[in-house]
Amino acid sequence: MPSRLGPIQLGILWQRLTGLMDEVAQTFVRTSFSVVVRENWDLTCSFLDAEGRQFAQSSRSIPSFIGTMPRTLRAVLKRYPRETLEPGDVLISNDSWLGTGHLNDISMFQPVFRNGQLIGYLGGTFHTVDIGGAPRPDARDSYEEGLTIPVAKIKRRGEENEDVIAFIAANVREPEETLGDIRAQFAAYDIATERLLKLLDEEGIEDLTEVAEEILDRSERSMREMISAIPDGTFSDEVTADGFDHPLSIRCTIRKQGSELEVDYTGTADQIDRPVNSPLNFTFSYSVYALKCALDPTAPNNDGSLRPIRILAPEGCLLNPRRPAPVWGRHLSGHYLPFVIYRTLSQIIPGKIAAESGSPLWNVYFKGTDRRRRKFVRMFFMNGGHGARPTMDGPACLSFPSNVANTPIEEFENTTPLLVREKALIPDSGGAGKYRGGQGQRISFESVSDDPLTFVIRHERVKFPPGGLLGGSAGSCGVDRLNGAIIPSKTVQVMKRGDVVTFDTPGGGGMYPASERDPTALARDIDDGLVTPAAAASAYGAQPTDN
Amino acid sequence: MRIGVDIGGTFTDLVMQDPATGQLRNGKVLTTPDDPSRGVLEGIGIILRENGVDPAAVDHVIHGTTLVANALIERKGVRTALITTAGFRDVLQIGREWRYDTYDLFISAVEPLVPRALRLEVTERIAHDGAVVVALDEASVQQAARDLAGQDIGAVAVCLLHAFRNPVHERRIKEILQAALPDCTISISSEVMPEIGEYERASTTVANAYVQPIFHRYIRRLSAGIRDMGIDRDLFLMQSDGGTVHQSTAAAFPIRLVQSGPAGGVQATALIGRLTGEPNILCFDMGGTTAKAALIEGQVPSRSTDFEVARIYRFKKGSGLPLKVPVIDMIEIGAGGGSIARVNRMGLIQVGPDSSSAVPGPACYGQGGTDATVTDADLVLGYLDADAFLGGAMKLDRAAAERAIEERIARPLGLSVVEAAWGIHQTVNESMAQAAGIHVLEKGLRSSDFAMAPIGGAGPVHACAVAGKMGMRRVICPAGAGVASAFGFLAAPMSFEFVRGGVAEIDALDLGALRASMEELEREARALLRGSGLDEAAFSVSHGCSMRYVGQGYQVDVAVPPALLGDGDRASLLAAFEAGYRALYGRTEAGMPAEVVSWRVVVTGPYPDLAPMRAAAGEGSDGAAARKGARLVFDGEAGDFVEAGVYDRYGLRVGDRLSGPAIVEERESTLVVPSGATLSVDDYGNLVVILPEARH
Repeated sequence: MPSRLGPIQLGILWQRLTGLMDEVAQTFVRTSFSVVVRENWDLTCSFLDAEGRQFAQSSRSIPSFIGTMPRTLRAVLKRYPRETLEPGDVLISNDSWLGTGHLNDISMFQPVFRNGQLIGYLGGTFHTVDIGGAPRPDARDSYEEGLTIPVAKIKRRGEENEDVIAFIAANVREPEETLGDIRAQFAAYDIATERLLKLLDEEGIEDLTEVAEEILDRSERSMREMISAIPDGTFSDEVTADGFDHPLSIRCTIRKQGSELEVDYTGTADQIDRPVNSPLNFTFSYSVYALKCALDPTAPNNDGSLRPIRILAPEGCLLNPRRPAPVWGRHLSGHYLPFVIYRTLSQIIPGKIAAESGSPLWNVYFKGTDRRRRKFVRMFFMNGGHGARPTMDGPACLSFPSNVANTPIEEFENTTPLLVREKALIPDSGGAGKYRGGQGQRISFESVSDDPLTFVIRHERVKFPPGGLLGGSAGSCGVDRLNGAIIPSKTVQVMKRGDVVTFDTPGGGGMYPASERDPTALARDIDDGLVTPAAAASAYGAQPTDN
Repeated sequence: MRIGVDIGGTFTDLVMQDPATGQLRNGKVLTTPDDPSRGVLEGIGIILRENGVDPAAVDHVIHGTTLVANALIERKGVRTALITTAGFRDVLQIGREWRYDTYDLFISAVEPLVPRALRLEVTERIAHDGAVVVALDEASVQQAARDLAGQDIGAVAVCLLHAFRNPVHERRIKEILQAALPDCTISISSEVMPEIGEYERASTTVANAYVQPIFHRYIRRLSAGIRDMGIDRDLFLMQSDGGTVHQSTAAAFPIRLVQSGPAGGVQATALIGRLTGEPNILCFDMGGTTAKAALIEGQVPSRSTDFEVARIYRFKKGSGLPLKVPVIDMIEIGAGGGSIARVNRMGLIQVGPDSSSAVPGPACYGQGGTDATVTDADLVLGYLDADAFLGGAMKLDRAAAERAIEERIARPLGLSVVEAAWGIHQTVNESMAQAAGIHVLEKGLRSSDFAMAPIGGAGPVHACAVAGKMGMRRVICPAGAGVASAFGFLAAPMSFEFVRGGVAEIDALDLGALRASMEELEREARALLRGSGLDEAAFSVSHGCSMRYVGQGYQVDVAVPPALLGDGDRASLLAAFEAGYRALYGRTEAGMPAEVVSWRVVVTGPYPDLAPMRAAAGEGSDGAAARKGARLVFDGEAGDFVEAGVYDRYGLRVGDRLSGPAIVEERESTLVVPSGATLSVDDYGNLVVILPEARH
């Protein structure tokens, strides 16, 4: 069907819509309170058309939020169908099964009207540090994990719904922050609505249906072309997560036929009553994100490019748990998905994938009283090494598949009664290979608080290291220590003044056999102290030299 | 006589001004990359000879250079070591841990300027409040010095945790190293940039160390050269924040010169604003590979201390070396005349971010290039004249441009060559309008309150279209846009920024200590400019604090005169912050505590008096005398070519008025005036375009 929009006008409109979402994200970030939103851009702002199809989002979006947004909107519209929406309404929910898979991510939508017609939705998802409850690594069900905000109208016709606001305020530890961020979204939506309507006026178009359809169709075509280039067939592989009491197998079968591709997680371990289950939305978004990076990284990420892809996970398994499974740490299984997919794809497209990284993402929550005797909760992220790529080493301490920046030590020490003793690369932690995995880091925190401090960790890759690919070696395992003694990797512990907790994040896996490594690259690693002479001999078969 | 010299990639530009008459002379010589000082000296020699000026009559030589940026981009600095707090030598390599591209599995990490083997640790620790937790173990410093001796090190950077709060350890280390390594220059973070953020501070300090010895050699050569020529004067240099400084200050903090050329361009457009009474100017600098935008608000360029140099990936934030230095706040995107257009995987036109290098360059250069570039599109659309490019010095090949656009864009998309060219032109304009628009938004401002001043070779070609997309009505095209940076050096005041960092909540802040610190900074600053021979009566001093709500990561810069702190009035400080915050975000956050993160003092000398450069008035004609002819140019509104008068800028006179569509050609660029717009020549020879309302 010939389009009324030529490629030029379409391109310009597309540029303008993406730019507009960047403006929304910028407005939100600069006015938000939670550190994770501000410093880590743990958010996404999207535009979805009247049918709820996502076709434009802020450039620097968290991939997991991009995948879940349209699914969340669909669920929200079940509760408040389109005809019940009015200008100035804002819908909210953080339900783990409807949203991104855990309660800390709050999703909000504002319908956009033009001449009385609903023409689409502005959507936003952001991470809030505290959502009430008592999330613990050993929580048994989702009720322990905090406040579930069911689908609700938090604004009606431009007026805040005081009951909903009060309900949230009464259930979270830092209501100023959480509500501040919610209101920052309100403001960003208002600006976005105004700009969007102006854009339509300027471009002289009625609504965005045609633009959306064109963009979605073109994205779909692009993805189909890339899939078609892969040989047909069925391929399987698996990775093993540490789990709690026993290891958890994540099994992946990729069926590729023509221009379509299916990822099937049948054979994956059953859900467990510990907070590592990944609701289907989260499973979906990390799977399609991984596929997009490998197959079609330059096309936009939207519903169109996902059409040729199916993600299947049997209900009741780790990757599609039933309520009320605990899901707070759903990344502890979800972050494995890119790696099991790449392991499987390495059989057919080894040039387009990466070896395993030192993730699921490592972090630590510290809780206690700060120097001014106020309660605080602070999260600190620490990334492991990135997996090797088929043409280059993996970078050290680089966030993947999430994309989370660290907090500067000087800023962290300013707000917490802790002293960071060390933040250093770990020699020999990168898996050996023709291309080496990136190094993990060691970071130590000493309590300088007179009151006891609590810290919460839930770390993976302590038992099973990030694997190498096609002959490359695995990276190193992670290790958690308190005053030098190894502690469980999923635990809540108390520190008193002078206690030191140390985290070693895992190193990335290598790619292709170590014997093929360029000797100058190895020599440089030895010179840098990132590969010890002993490891050079044992892992790379290098002859020891006298100097 | 005052001479401004700017070294660019291809040409070294010179502008000489006679302060008595205001008369300006321009000059251009080829840049001499092996030793840029040679080109500078040659250029100064020529401009003096050509105008019969005695070298002894030169009072000021003000210079900007790409030397610092190039040394960082090309990694041609000296072998540099880093000394840091025990346990933290890898901070420089680990960086901020996030990926600058979300979908590319093949991104490279930014390589630190100091390899791991040259990053040494010393035993010491300072806490967040400046308290010494572990005293400096001088033996560990001596050991580090011994380890570095004989390693062919040219410079050492020292960056310790929290040294911005308490510099005592860094200072002592500097003393020890100066004695132990007399041939090395030493840069310490508490002097280079005493602000919070260990990675960015270390990166800045290392970069300063890395370029300093090269810069010293260069300045020595250049300084000796101008004295040999008979100019018995010290040099002044342009810093990235648009202020000039004496050569000795520049030599201490060469990293502050990283953006000196572009800063000169902004100062040139700021001068236009002062002369024409236009308070708010958006400087739009579009060259061959990138476009930059900077805001001049209330006649002062906006400042920032966040900068990144040597980006390795599509000009993306995060892919370069972060520098915390005073800069004119500027955005840069990969959109210039040489930017390459292609059809992307979506079947849409994409322009940049990569560009065809000077050779073979755009297809129309006729040097064998086959890429369809922005310049090729501009030629096909009639905006450029194949025979008048660079004043006719370079003939453009229109057939080659059409061929490239046909093959790369038109045929794949089923468009005519002209439609495809229009698509390229619009796409690149949209990218620039968007990037500049977000920049304006980040500052809580509105584009429509600004007038655009285009500079750079491609700036005037695209200015009206970009301004229109941004909802701006006025475009002021300055005279001599092609030597804007060198001219800007003459227009810039001497100035220097001093900064101190230390995080404290307002209600716990020692106001007296803050005031004392600001006053101390002011004394240092005044001494510095006095030392440069300036009359103290002419100084202006501005004091400011970077503040934020506790927990927020962005800071708001607010003016804080010391008197405000004098009576211990915390409420006034809070009110100043809230006013600044409200200007940016339209609201304040009741009940949230606020804190001061750093404070700065900028001392500024007088703006040079360039007022007498008023051009001779004409009769207020329609420009007929300057009309060279007419040609067909593409009009987007009409969707077709329309006939546009072509004018020679050098023939236009003050008071002339004409209407679009029109083309005004000068040596280095071409101004495209769209249909419906009017152009007038103001008293200073600037071309002022008023755009019709509601163009996009």
